[in-house]
Amino acid sequence: MERAESSSIKPPVTSLGVLGWLRANLFSSWINSLLTILTLILIYFFGRVLVIWSVREANWSAVTNNLGVLTWGRYPNTEVWRLGVSLILIVLMGVLTWVQWSRQENQRSRPVLLAGWLMMPFVLTILIRGITMPTFRTIINNIGYYIVHPDVLIALDQTWRANAALTLTGLLAGASWMIFQKRRSRILTNVGALVVLALMVPLSTLSQPWIFGLRTPMAIPMLLTFGLCLLIGRAVGRSFTNMVGRAHVLGAIWMISLPIVVIVLTTFEVGNEAVDPVEALMIVPPNIWSGILLTLSLSVVSIAASFPIGVLLALGRRSSLPVVKGFSILFIELVRGVPLISILFMAQVMLPLFLPLGVNIDRVLRAMAGMILFTAAYLAEIVRGGLQAVRNEQVEAARALGLNEFLVTSLVVLPQALRAVIPPIMGQFVSIFKDTSLVAIVGLLDVLAVGQSVIKAREYLGAVREIYLFAGLFYFVFSYAMSQASRRLEARLGVVESE
Amino acid sequence: MSESIIVCKEVHKWFGNFHALKGVGMEVKKGEVVVIFGPSGSGKSTFIRTINRLEEHQRGTIIVDGIELTHDIRNIAAIRSEIGMVFQQFNLFPHLTVMQNITLAPIWVHKWPKDKAEEIAMQLLERVGIPEQAHKYPGQLSGGQQQRVAIARALAMQPKIMLFDEPTSALDPEMIKEVLDVMAELAKSGMTMLVVTHEMGFARAVADRMFFFDQGQIVESGSPEDIFKKPKEERTKLFLSQILSH
Ligand SMILES: Nc1ncnc2c1ncn2[C@@H]1O[C@H](COP(=O)(O)OP(=O)(O)OP(=O)(O)O)[C@@H](O)[C@H]1O
Ligand SMILES: [Mg+2]
Repeated sequence: MERAESSSIKPPVTSLGVLGWLRANLFSSWINSLLTILTLILIYFFGRVLVIWSVREANWSAVTNNLGVLTWGRYPNTEVWRLGVSLILIVLMGVLTWVQWSRQENQRSRPVLLAGWLMMPFVLTILIRGITMPTFRTIINNIGYYIVHPDVLIALDQTWRANAALTLTGLLAGASWMIFQKRRSRILTNVGALVVLALMVPLSTLSQPWIFGLRTPMAIPMLLTFGLCLLIGRAVGRSFTNMVGRAHVLGAIWMISLPIVVIVLTTFEVGNEAVDPVEALMIVPPNIWSGILLTLSLSVVSIAASFPIGVLLALGRRSSLPVVKGFSILFIELVRGVPLISILFMAQVMLPLFLPLGVNIDRVLRAMAGMILFTAAYLAEIVRGGLQAVRNEQVEAARALGLNEFLVTSLVVLPQALRAVIPPIMGQFVSIFKDTSLVAIVGLLDVLAVGQSVIKAREYLGAVREIYLFAGLFYFVFSYAMSQASRRLEARLGVVESE
Repeated sequence: MSESIIVCKEVHKWFGNFHALKGVGMEVKKGEVVVIFGPSGSGKSTFIRTINRLEEHQRGTIIVDGIELTHDIRNIAAIRSEIGMVFQQFNLFPHLTVMQNITLAPIWVHKWPKDKAEEIAMQLLERVGIPEQAHKYPGQLSGGQQQRVAIARALAMQPKIMLFDEPTSALDPEMIKEVLDVMAELAKSGMTMLVVTHEMGFARAVADRMFFFDQGQIVESGSPEDIFKKPKEERTKLFLSQILSH
């Protein structure tokens, strides 16, 4: 009864044909006609000059001969295939996501896709940066060495390895204890946690200064780390108890994580003898990334990492906890009060101050950190606007259903808030994409900087226009694609808002 | 039918300096349908919102199904999942389909598998008479349909108590009946209901007891029979004559 019945009366025809469209849109009044003609003349004039120049005079070899340099810069030629594979992976994931999105009824592939996207950062990092894997022999050697001489980690100043192992295990164990309440399904978790904890025993008896120079057995800070992560894991796990029956998922996570923990713990280098690492993929340090590769990795990393941070800051700013709120406000206002260029400089010179001695992160990573913090602060303000647009009645309705505050925020408030601010968020992304060109100032070679160095080569001395046109076109294509994506997203999610 | 599922004693609530509830006491038995009415600003909404703790009371005790409402967050969660609430403005989640609106809480709070939640949601949509709207968004429905979805959403948590805060006052006249019909059916099925409403026809037909609120207090209570035929208080008489004259 509420469905539309097919009726015999058709809606009036509204399409006009080409001439009709022209008349309705371009020549509807004398002033409109005048403007149309003037614009056409202008387009013709500029277009003609551009076309004649690019066909007759331009020396495109400056671009075509240097396409490689402009694209991957100093990335070793033998390894460029890895960039190709990365590109294919990204496009593949994009297409799969697109397909799944346009077919709404098929929701089953969703978790798989999500997991795929979550793994992308790691996969891409390994692919593009490369990876060194210890051989099996090294691992066995080092485990042995570590058990006999646990102080090796302290001597090498690498106790972070133990903490990393504990953090990962704690989170995993906490979550899976929450998700799997039955004793039988907990076996894997218990065994996994016990293995890691057993590995910690030798180290835990040693003493080392940790907080305020306090010197205690390592057991205390280690237990604190483990306990804290256990609690966090439990809190997260509690929200996912409806994963019950997905034992295989968690099983798989454990199977992958356990070896990682062991590898993390034991890939320290002891002199020359015990190390026998195999460079599975040749390491190409970010420091030498340049050209389009640098521009794109800077933008992708800052966009992907700043988004969650920005959302957290926005939530933090509205938090009722004064410390969280104060920190968020301070951070947002500080960062927004400083131009990006100074943040980039500060990231280069200040960041090492905050890192433990001996940890030396490379210049590209420092630039990334700077851009992430910068973008996060602006996103936080945008998202805050979105949060304010969500009516309090929505929160009340969600609470009345028995959702806890975490679920209220993540299932009801955030989705609505973010939808409301897709255009400004995308605008911010486009803007940070273009702003990556500023890294040239701190000596990094983004696509523009590479272009400038090409121009300085003797054979391409005159090709200034061609190079800049190429760079301009590159920026335009990506910016345009992003704003198109934004409009699609909006149109797709916007159906909903017509309340 | 004898034990009280809601016990409120001497409930006080202030908004800043404004004394919104001045010692409200009420006991509701299992399966009872209680209608609350009274002039605007008399504290009706505030009172029923204290029962699922959307508002905190500052003095007095509220005991729901044997659990006293205190600051303990666990209690609040437990209480809220036993109480369904339907609002004047529907408050459906606009970014979710009707189906997702209904299954959200069962999936995330009761941890039901999605299939089970959707099956039950479908049954509820049939019960409120709009199974064919399951995959639309709230914005695509009429007010009456939205309010029926809101009722289904609350029922999906299988609550023991349902609170209604003027569920029909935002509706066009022709849609009021479809919502009241659903509520009457729900009452007949034995649900404990607290309904703030000025639909006196509904009250007369469905309510077991009625409470007249004014200025943060219960002025008078009794069966619909008593309230309509022989109200004791002058204020009740006056108010009834005002709203019944429409
Ligand atoms: N959050 C609030 N802050 C301050 N005052 C409030 C708040 N909520 C309600 N009040 C006041 O408390 C009194 C009771 O409000 P309540 O909404 O309970 O009235 P009501 O009986 O439901 O009225 P109506 O029929 O208009 O819905 C009103 O005077 C109102 O102004
Ligand atoms: Mg009210």
